[in-house]
Amino acid sequence: MRTRNDGASSDTILLYVLYVLFCLFSLMILWSVTEGIQGSYQQVDPVVSKSIFWRQAVWILLGWVALLMASRVPLHWLEVSAPLAYLVMIGALVLVLLTAPEVAGSRRWFALGPLRLQPSEPAKVVLILVLAKTFSRHVAHGRRLLPQTAGWLLTMIPLALVLKEPDLGTSLVFAAILLGVVFWHGLSWVILLSALSPLVSAVISFYSDRVLEGQPWPWGLYLMLVLAILFVARRGLIESFLLVLANIVGGIGTNIFWAGLKGYQQARILSFFQPEKFQHDAGYQAIQSKIAIGSGGLFGTHYLQGTQKGLAFLPERHTDFIFSVVGEELGLLGTIGLLGLFLILIMRGLSIASAARKPFNSLLAIGIVSYFTFHVVVNVSITTGLLPVTGLPLPFMSYGGSNFLVSSFLLGLLINVGSRSFEK
Amino acid sequence: MARPTQLPTRIYRGVVWLAFGIIAANLVYLQVVKQQHFKDQATDNVEVSQRVRAPRGNILDRDGIVLADNVFRSSIVLKRSCLKDGVPDSTLSRLMDWYGLDPEETVDRLAHQLDSDRPKLVLVADASMAQIALLEENLRVLPGAALDARPWRRYRHGALFAHVIGYTGEVTADEVAESRRQNADFPTFLSGFTRGREGVETIREDVLRGQDGSIILAVDANGIEVGREPRVTRTARQGQDVRLTLSAPLQEALSDAMAGRPGCAVALALPSGDVLAAVSLPTYDTNLFTRGISSEDWQSLLGDGDHPLLNRIVQATYPPGSPYKIVTSLSALENGAAVRSSRFDPCLGGYQFGNRVFHCWNRNGHGNLNHGEALVHSCDVFYYQVVQLLTLEQIRKTALALGLGARTGVPFHGEAAGIVPDGAWYDDRFGPRRWTRGVLLNNAIGQGELLVTPIQMAVLTGRIALGDANFSPHFILDDQRIRATPAPLPFREANLDWVRKTMHQVVDIGTGVKARLEAVDVAGKTGTSQNPHGEDHAWFVCFAPAKDPQVAFVVILEQGGSGGAEAAPVAARWLIDYFESVGTRMGES
Repeated sequence: MRTRNDGASSDTILLYVLYVLFCLFSLMILWSVTEGIQGSYQQVDPVVSKSIFWRQAVWILLGWVALLMASRVPLHWLEVSAPLAYLVMIGALVLVLLTAPEVAGSRRWFALGPLRLQPSEPAKVVLILVLAKTFSRHVAHGRRLLPQTAGWLLTMIPLALVLKEPDLGTSLVFAAILLGVVFWHGLSWVILLSALSPLVSAVISFYSDRVLEGQPWPWGLYLMLVLAILFVARRGLIESFLLVLANIVGGIGTNIFWAGLKGYQQARILSFFQPEKFQHDAGYQAIQSKIAIGSGGLFGTHYLQGTQKGLAFLPERHTDFIFSVVGEELGLLGTIGLLGLFLILIMRGLSIASAARKPFNSLLAIGIVSYFTFHVVVNVSITTGLLPVTGLPLPFMSYGGSNFLVSSFLLGLLINVGSRSFEK
Repeated sequence: MARPTQLPTRIYRGVVWLAFGIIAANLVYLQVVKQQHFKDQATDNVEVSQRVRAPRGNILDRDGIVLADNVFRSSIVLKRSCLKDGVPDSTLSRLMDWYGLDPEETVDRLAHQLDSDRPKLVLVADASMAQIALLEENLRVLPGAALDARPWRRYRHGALFAHVIGYTGEVTADEVAESRRQNADFPTFLSGFTRGREGVETIREDVLRGQDGSIILAVDANGIEVGREPRVTRTARQGQDVRLTLSAPLQEALSDAMAGRPGCAVALALPSGDVLAAVSLPTYDTNLFTRGISSEDWQSLLGDGDHPLLNRIVQATYPPGSPYKIVTSLSALENGAAVRSSRFDPCLGGYQFGNRVFHCWNRNGHGNLNHGEALVHSCDVFYYQVVQLLTLEQIRKTALALGLGARTGVPFHGEAAGIVPDGAWYDDRFGPRRWTRGVLLNNAIGQGELLVTPIQMAVLTGRIALGDANFSPHFILDDQRIRATPAPLPFREANLDWVRKTMHQVVDIGTGVKARLEAVDVAGKTGTSQNPHGEDHAWFVCFAPAKDPQVAFVVILEQGGSGGAEAAPVAARWLIDYFESVGTRMGES
């Protein structure tokens, strides 16, 4: 049993290598984004200027510090301090709602001198820690209800606060972390289905109502499918009745929920289903992103040569939509390559999570894996038009300090767990 | 807790693989299957087809002096989205602030433009260098704003050629729709384009317009050009020049000779029929129209009691007055009603016909005059008597042969035909048998119901001078289509010759002495036609030199008074300039 972390086992060396690759990849793409178009006589967009590249380079240096710190910190320190960190986090989230200046309709930032601090980013770390602690304490007793109830409650508070900012993307990250940890803690597929099927019902009901303009047959079809599954699985009558009821409530509730959304949120969701209708408004980003990626083809337009990036057709190309630039300039080769790196990271994280013998470590690892999985899958799905547009950065790649530091810190923790796999 | 072999690990792994699988499959779909589709869209994003406006052809005088050409002027234009529901966006607000434009008035004007389907809104129609520089330096913070340089019509002489050249004006919505129907891909006219609206600009629209071209530009997301070499997909060709028969110096001389008095004058080269000068007064500055005339300017032109927009040379009709005595004399000679030496009862200042007295313009009476003397001194009483030996139809036939009563066929719209009445016309006007031969007496001296246009009188003068029945006027030099070969008038040459000689005497010793020139013999006829609405109109028609005519000239001064006193000097002034310009040394008259 190793108690000292030397950070150099074969398990963890790969993660260091991945981190280096991500940093280089990110810098390479940001250099291109800030280059403008080749052959043009003018810098196309002063908003995306070279200073962004240099700032991110500084963030990467700081990220290394965060990663090394996280990979060496004694994990039980974190376990012990998690509740306190949680309280500080809630305080910060409340404070940001009360004091932060409103930027583009939302309150997300503290201004600390020249720095802008986004408390919802470190909140992800704190949530993972506090969930890992909560669920690990009850593993030995085999009780599930108590930690699960506590876990849901602990997640819902910051989730509600972040949703109020409003920051839908981050609140979904919280939910994804919770789901990953709950699942890892142990959950029957029926419960999972019960939890998820009303959500699916809501989406299909929405689709029937808003997009197909009141044709109820897809929703009806879905309800029959649920019934069929319940019948085949031979579930009990009451359980089946409750599940079907939850589905119906989910389906009808979506319209009530819809009415409570803000105009731009409604537009984003509608534009996902019908991007052509919203070509110049909410659907613009999604369409331009698909054009950039699609026009890249197999090998891309070559590094620095992307016209959609260069001529500023791609919005947020240095932040949330940086994957589109990879798609345009490096083609399928680049996108699959980058996804491959993320897949290796996630798979390695999964084996670290399953190899960890200490419940806290294992749950910590799965929380981190869930964080990366959700960020990568949802961000790439948004840029490729598979999901509606919501603000969510691509870890390590998107420009922005808060997320880069958090991602680095979490990867450091994953390395930390990986190097203590025998710790009990 | 989960172990590698345990179910949760495998499920988690499966879910991740599934998600990445879907994403990868979608990437293959986007980047391989639909690659071409998205490449085309990317190109569409970047490439913008832009129309290149062909400059209009120039309009030149007969010697190549430029009368109308084009200047490139830059407009500051905005995307339509810069004004949404009457609310200016940041670009428009900024520009209004920088240029010091009144926001209320500007928004109003642009909202008006939004109603048409023009692709861009014109913020400043003719931008100054300072305004252009301000825009170009700040294009980055002015998304949607652009510079639009296009050729504008410039009339070098402003009002001088207004009624001949006309002007260009913006096309109507109907014309745009029609041109879209004809060629949907590349319509001749788009909203905001201009076309000939009057005069030669309209008549020669097809030749002058030229052929627009198009180029493809690379632009960024804000529509700002990114400085790549544009690709030409359709070459623009400037319209062809049109040469007028008019001469700029002679036109100027005529305008000076008229001295701003309302009326008009026209000079025709003989025997070609080329219009050398044609002035209609009052006139207007055609440059007002090229940038879209303001409604105040337009209303004041329309409401002006002197009718500046009226092209008097072809559109206005007047009683011909005494110059019509040429027609009566010629008709009398041709039909045997009188010979050159005929005498009638002496003129005592009036003539009793039935129970009505017809006056001579000279209330003191001319005494006993023969036919020639009567024309020279324009004695009405002589003509009252000679006309009674003629029929209405006989005079009318003579008038028609000389070009009255029918349009001359000049291509200006609204040319009037004038009136040379026959019996049926009088029946129609007064009722059958409700008129007497008394109308003949009025006809004889060019009064009554007779109406002519100045251009008709010029044709009449030219036909008399040349004896050419097909003589007609031309405004455009290259206009070969309607040049008819000369044909003799249906009159005896001896009679025509007598008329010409007598017209020379009119200027030499008669009513037209004020048109007499030292170096050149002028043959003419004065007229003071009664105007029921006011003062008499002053006429003078002439050709010169009398023996070898090179030029026919007609002038009418509306309510100008006596033809001999007022109109004849105008002719003299212009003829001096004309003959000097062709190299004849002119002494003092």
